[in-house]
Amino acid sequence: MLKVANLVTEFASIKALNDISFQAKPGRITTVIGANGAGKSTLLRTISGLERPTSGSIKWFDEELTDKSVEAIVRSGVAQVPEGHAVISQLSVAENIELGGLFRKRQARGDLEIATKEVYELFPILFERRREPAGSLSGGERQMLAISRALVARPKLLLLDEPSLGLAPLISAQIISIVDQLCKSTGLTVLLVEQNANTALAVADHGILLALGKVVADLPAKELIADSALRAAYLGY
Amino acid sequence: MNSFLTAFFAGTSQGAIYALVSLGLVLVWRGAGVVNFAQMGQAMFTTYIASQLIQNEYSYWSAFVIALISGALLGALVDLGIMRPLSSRKNSQLLNSQSMRTTVPVIASLGILGVLKALAGIFWAGEERGFPAPVPTTGLRLGNSDLAITGFDLFVIGVVFLALVLTTIFFTRTGMGLAMRASALNPEVTRLSGIRVGSVRTLSWAISGTASSLAGLLVTPKTNLSPNTLDLLLIIGFTAAVVGGLTSLAGSVLGGFILGYVIAFVNVYSAPENVFLAILIFLLLALFLRPQGILGSKEVRRV
Repeated sequence: MLKVANLVTEFASIKALNDISFQAKPGRITTVIGANGAGKSTLLRTISGLERPTSGSIKWFDEELTDKSVEAIVRSGVAQVPEGHAVISQLSVAENIELGGLFRKRQARGDLEIATKEVYELFPILFERRREPAGSLSGGERQMLAISRALVARPKLLLLDEPSLGLAPLISAQIISIVDQLCKSTGLTVLLVEQNANTALAVADHGILLALGKVVADLPAKELIADSALRAAYLGY
Repeated sequence: MNSFLTAFFAGTSQGAIYALVSLGLVLVWRGAGVVNFAQMGQAMFTTYIASQLIQNEYSYWSAFVIALISGALLGALVDLGIMRPLSSRKNSQLLNSQSMRTTVPVIASLGILGVLKALAGIFWAGEERGFPAPVPTTGLRLGNSDLAITGFDLFVIGVVFLALVLTTIFFTRTGMGLAMRASALNPEVTRLSGIRVGSVRTLSWAISGTASSLAGLLVTPKTNLSPNTLDLLLIIGFTAAVVGGLTSLAGSVLGGFILGYVIAFVNVYSAPENVFLAILIFLLLALFLRPQGILGSKEVRRV
């Protein structure tokens, strides 16, 4: 269970996150939607430790994450796939995946091999192109690689920042449905940030609508999809 | 023919040393974003340590190994004691802008250079002294003919070759090497992969310290040792790093060898006083013709 309570993150005294509270159920997808600048990315970056909150708490089960370093947060099972298909272009596909599991190479070498095999089964195209530099992949493949890098760490909580950004609808739907399957088969908890609300809400258990750093709606996903007045007011469609 | 071979062999063995210096500079530049002007100060200091040990009747080889270890420790110490505290001061007015964040560590490295020179002056009176070579520095003979290469040149080339092979294996075959490459290319994704980027950075300072310490041990049998002897090496090594592309480890090594040949051939075919002019012309040519360096990559932006 992820519990975010009264979270405030400031950039030079502008409150990018202004008193955010919500919960994400384990083994489910929670989708965070909102317009540009609503604070969606800041929320994920604060959970993963890349940004430091001014106040508030982030609890992953019994662990308080706000006072931990980025590296320690990853090591306690929280992995972020940052915005923009973040892979290291100059490294090969296989090296990008290896990088994701490097920190547990000593304790869990055997499991690391299994995890690597699993992501290659999930995304066979990556196995075919494993020796090529990540920079040569298409946008969709780069996103698959970014997700694979996070998955070999065997996270319990996956933070996905706009995975469909810049991708063709068909490909982004495919990626989201793979995440959905993972969630159902492995009990992974997912916090999915999307601007493109429909696909992301369709697989979600729960939806959170952010506007100007505040939670304006926290509803079961089905209700959020159906609430056209809310969408018109905050998303403009 | 004989003068050609003389220049070629001198260029190879000097170039090997420049390659080490250049490699050390690029490691810290890529790994920590700092141009380390203290690098050859660190090398000078560890070579004095070796020299002191040899005076105290330690064997050449134990002094050699201890100097390399001190090089690594000194490099790590510079990072942990000075660079890391400097860059982690979040509320400093001075470090607010990006340009100051890159400049301040460079100025700090100049300060470290000054301190190391002063310390060498205090401990070893700053006197110029010789530094021994483990093998003869006279020309080799094959049958009745003199060869244009000394035993020590061969030793230098061999040791540097071994060091470069080990470095390559480290960077391409080990997890730590992958972590170092990754954190130089994209620190954010590397941190999100659970890797302690700070420790990786300290390690690149340590490896750089070892490489330059080795360069100090290999160059001083020819140049002698004083607090200032290695300054020149930094300039040449830095030129080599820029020519090689500043971000490419292989390029830095290649740049070192190319500079070694440029200097050796100018020395033999022209005159030693023209060496610096030649370095300048070569640097300008390289910057005009290939500003990204021989093996440096252009900044490619995907849109």
